[in-house]
Amino acid sequence: MTTTAVESGADISSEVSAPAVPLAARTRGLRKVYGSTVAVDHVDLDIPQGAVVGMLGPNGSGKTTTIRMLLGLVRPTEGEVELLGRPMPDAAAHALPDVGALVEGPGFHPFLSGRDNLLRFAAAEPRLTSAGIPLAVDSALERVGLTGAARRRYKGYSLGMKQRLGLASALLVPRKMVVLDEPTNGLDPAGTREIRRIVAELHAEGVTVLVSSHLLAEVEATCTHVAVLQAGNVVAQGELAELLESGNAALLVRTPDAEQAVEVLRENRIGARLTPDGVRADLTATEAPRVLQVLVGAGVAVHEATRARTGLEDLFARLTESSVDGSSEGTE
Amino acid sequence: MTAVLDATEVPAARTGHDTVPLPRLLAAELRWIFRRPRTLAVLGLLALIPVVIGIGLTLVDENAASGGGPDDGGGALLASAVNNAFVLPIAAIVMSLALLLPLASAMAGADAIAGETSHGTLRGWLIAPVGRGRLLAVKAFGVATVSVVSVLAMCLTGVVTGLIINGTDSLFTLSGTTLSFGGALARILLVAGWVVLQLWAVGAVALAISSWTEHPMLVVASVLAGDIVFTILGFLTSLDWLHPFLLTQNWSVAPAEVLQDPMGTQMLGEGALRAACYIVIGLSLAYARLSTRDG
Repeated sequence: MTTTAVESGADISSEVSAPAVPLAARTRGLRKVYGSTVAVDHVDLDIPQGAVVGMLGPNGSGKTTTIRMLLGLVRPTEGEVELLGRPMPDAAAHALPDVGALVEGPGFHPFLSGRDNLLRFAAAEPRLTSAGIPLAVDSALERVGLTGAARRRYKGYSLGMKQRLGLASALLVPRKMVVLDEPTNGLDPAGTREIRRIVAELHAEGVTVLVSSHLLAEVEATCTHVAVLQAGNVVAQGELAELLESGNAALLVRTPDAEQAVEVLRENRIGARLTPDGVRADLTATEAPRVLQVLVGAGVAVHEATRARTGLEDLFARLTESSVDGSSEGTE
Repeated sequence: MTAVLDATEVPAARTGHDTVPLPRLLAAELRWIFRRPRTLAVLGLLALIPVVIGIGLTLVDENAASGGGPDDGGGALLASAVNNAFVLPIAAIVMSLALLLPLASAMAGADAIAGETSHGTLRGWLIAPVGRGRLLAVKAFGVATVSVVSVLAMCLTGVVTGLIINGTDSLFTLSGTTLSFGGALARILLVAGWVVLQLWAVGAVALAISSWTEHPMLVVASVLAGDIVFTILGFLTSLDWLHPFLLTQNWSVAPAEVLQDPMGTQMLGEGALRAACYIVIGLSLAYARLSTRDG
């Protein structure tokens, strides 16, 4: 990866981890080696309480490995993990009852109905009373829209229904934190919207949510925070809005007098270039009102001015694509 | 923030407890095992064996059966089961112990851990969370229960078949004495208990293998291969020194001790001790692996 990416990542994370927001989970110096493959290295992840954190990264960047260590399923080779203030995996028994998770796809028995599968897992949930199990299962099924198919065998479920059932098992109990690994895998657009709705509901309830995904639009639509993983390293993390701002800020001005506008802006030492229907003014050294003032003062007809928002896609590409060649190793 | 959730449709949370009562886990495990069509099919087939043997023996010419039977324990037992309601269930169980009963335990052990891993459901238990030691305890309980139910089902159908075909006045020991119904039942249950212990040993080994792999087939195949290899090794007199360590040693002849009057206990005792050792070793290996493996 290029040095610029590393630097920008470091800058951003130091910027936003400074405020004393209580953390729902954090990792320090996390490293996991499988044989001779380094799956995850030097991962310092901060998951603020109440945030919806999107974990982004190409396949094989270490998202799932990190999540598995966070949940105490895998013991890290080096480094420490804290989940809800408890060290993992040693205190898993005390942290996990308040954590719901869907990891590496839904896992259920094909010969049991969706409801029976959930009843089985609900029996193992410490936060449920024995009498409360059926009600908890039914409301979780309703929440993910599976009530109609609850009594059908899991064997006959579509990929999307399986995914929903996995989500339901994460939501059996009111959680403090919910971890969803690729929750929209196999879902149609309507299903994806529903996941988004559920994540938003959890967020409104104050639940901390960690979502891993390689679908950028997904993360951009639902998350307050982002962590970008690349080849087992965190290359950027922080609040989504700040990360997007930190990209190349610019103002898009729609004008018929584009050439004149570029000229005027450059005379005033504002970087600018032509776009199909106007100009793009660079905002790194100045501010939007100043740009407009210059343009209007010079008699340029300004039809519309919009802040160019760096899409998450651009950011992601900037952070990860520079080292695509080196990203083939590492497991997820 | 949990208070907000508690107020909605979600039932009252069980706070202050980070572990689930063990009976609840055991009940969930048993429900899972006995709702599985495969388990029920195996149990049904095992229960049929004494019936088939009983019917088969009534069709056999009595003299040919008792005269020219093969020399090994199973064959001799089978010959003695003709017209004998006491020997029939024991013969059926002992003959099944050669392959079919271990198969049932191996399947249960394979499904318990490797099967759950391959379906991705073991992770669900670990995240719930169920501690790894408890998980093994629950799984061992499930396998043990399958073994008990298999043997008891055979006992039941064996005794009923024997009594229907031969009547209650047909409870003879091989020494020629006649047993009361209660006495015969006690001895049959003794054999059943001993066989269950052997099956627990098989199940413990199956659990150990099961915790090392995610392919249930591999567990079943390994256990059956081990069963066959042990039996073959047991036939080789040049390997006398090895025989006390083979789980399958005397499997076909030890239960015949209860058919004598007075009853012998030497081979039964030895076999029980051997099985206990296998159980301890098998469960220890399973725990060592399960407690450290990646979930």
